[in-house]
Amino acid sequence: MRLFGLETEYGITREDMDSIDSVVESMELVRAHLTASFERRWDYGGEDPHEDARGFRVPCLAQDREEDEFAQVDAHRPLSFHEMKSDLVLPNGARFYNDHTHPEYSTPECRTLKDLLAHDRAGERIIERAAARRNRSLGGAPVQLYKNNTDFHGHSYGCHDNYLVRRSIPFPDLVTGLIPFLVSRQVIAGSGKAGSEAQESGFVPGGYQLSQRADFMETDLSVDTMHNRPILNTRDEPHADPAQYRRLHLIIGDANMCEYATALKIGTTQLVLELIERGAAPILELEQPVTAVKQVSRDADLKATVRLRDGRLLSGLDIQEQYYTAARQALAGSDPETDWILQEWGDTLRLLTQDRTQLIGKLDWVTKLWLLETFVRNERIGWDDSWLASLDLEYHNMNAERGLYRGLEAEGKVWRMTEEADIERAMFFGPRDTRGGVRGLCVRRFADQIEGLQWERIRFAGGLRARTLEMGDLFDPGEASACAEVFERAASPAEGLADWHARKDARL
Amino acid sequence: MPQPAKPSEEGGGPRRPDTGSPDKDNLLKRMRRVDPKQAERYRQRTGE
Repeated sequence: MRLFGLETEYGITREDMDSIDSVVESMELVRAHLTASFERRWDYGGEDPHEDARGFRVPCLAQDREEDEFAQVDAHRPLSFHEMKSDLVLPNGARFYNDHTHPEYSTPECRTLKDLLAHDRAGERIIERAAARRNRSLGGAPVQLYKNNTDFHGHSYGCHDNYLVRRSIPFPDLVTGLIPFLVSRQVIAGSGKAGSEAQESGFVPGGYQLSQRADFMETDLSVDTMHNRPILNTRDEPHADPAQYRRLHLIIGDANMCEYATALKIGTTQLVLELIERGAAPILELEQPVTAVKQVSRDADLKATVRLRDGRLLSGLDIQEQYYTAARQALAGSDPETDWILQEWGDTLRLLTQDRTQLIGKLDWVTKLWLLETFVRNERIGWDDSWLASLDLEYHNMNAERGLYRGLEAEGKVWRMTEEADIERAMFFGPRDTRGGVRGLCVRRFADQIEGLQWERIRFAGGLRARTLEMGDLFDPGEASACAEVFERAASPAEGLADWHARKDARL
Repeated sequence: MPQPAKPSEEGGGPRRPDTGSPDKDNLLKRMRRVDPKQAERYRQRTGE
């Protein structure tokens, strides 16, 4: 069972102002996507970040107090909560909105890496287009967007990877199997960072590390996401039938610019979940995971070792090798995508040891380090020069004229896995074989008849009886495609629902 | 379950880039144009 998606919070700034109202700027950016006025449609029912996968509900989150303080300020604005959020559901099944003052793009649910990459890139295009519209209205190009995870002043924002997981897998098994993997995943998926910092404390220039997010990890497990950030987030918000499924919500990951890094990040994590489900994941218990995640991040030579509870000392690469070996033994030959992930995972681990230069344009931390090393050498500056943090930031700038990654891409120096036609299509259509495709289809065909919608249901207007398309268990690819076909043919939502229910009843 | 497209060198898969030194092209110029104080001015609120 494979289903995954990415949520990316972008950094946003206005270069024509000394300080900005980030609530307004993020809202205006999202609304710049619209050609008509905003209509509230997102249904917040079913969202409860206080539910913990360990089997309890927390009374409050670490961020609640700060959020309450912001809510008091926001209460004085001439805008409602819903106007500030400006939650949009796009014709490709994605969600685009203002989340905690960051424009956030959540891809629709995807089943293949090819689809996920196309939708991640489609999100970039959509947000760039919104910025261009906003800038046209302001004059010049004051709005700049960054696909990164830090402001270099101790404030981080996330890029979360999500996976559908069977509820029958005991949560402690996920914890045991995932934590060493996530601590070491940054050797492949880190986006790189010049200098270091800590949650809401000052930036310290000097040195280079693998990950943007490692500095912000404060505990092994927690339901929190904004403070006391965990290596493994325990939020239990399945957006699906809770009796059957979990949504694994990982917040440790960096936002990747390199398509190849995104593919390996999601692909290897999916394989590790399959190992855990089969009881075939390696048993590696770290003595201090939070310390380990920072040790691994802060050693670009990949030689730092972390201590296991059994006394062994392993590097991040060693840990990744153990997961890779277990995955190859258990999963090789399962399907072409699995074989591709295994091949590339193994090659990448080998190249990280033997010849890192071959990973330029594939892995972000390697690519960024290559750029910074070149700059340091040419400009004869030290690694403690604050210019490097600015270059780091610009690596992630989405502006084609300024962004350093964008410049590399324009010069053909990065590995591309998407075709332009795939990205173009993903801007307007969701994956045909997931409920994301069904959601997008309904938005395209019946937008003016939708009262409310969210990840697992669409509520249509009109009639005496509830007209809701429930998608909490619509995960079989054949069923999702069939549902899409029904709503493609239907003259109205009522007809689509009637046909879909008749089809389901006939099978019972 | 439909088979996923297999990324490959031929169709839709990773395409090998030219990873020559950035010294030889416009990248270094682009990097020199970056304001050294830019990160100092960049401020965001904590997100998720």
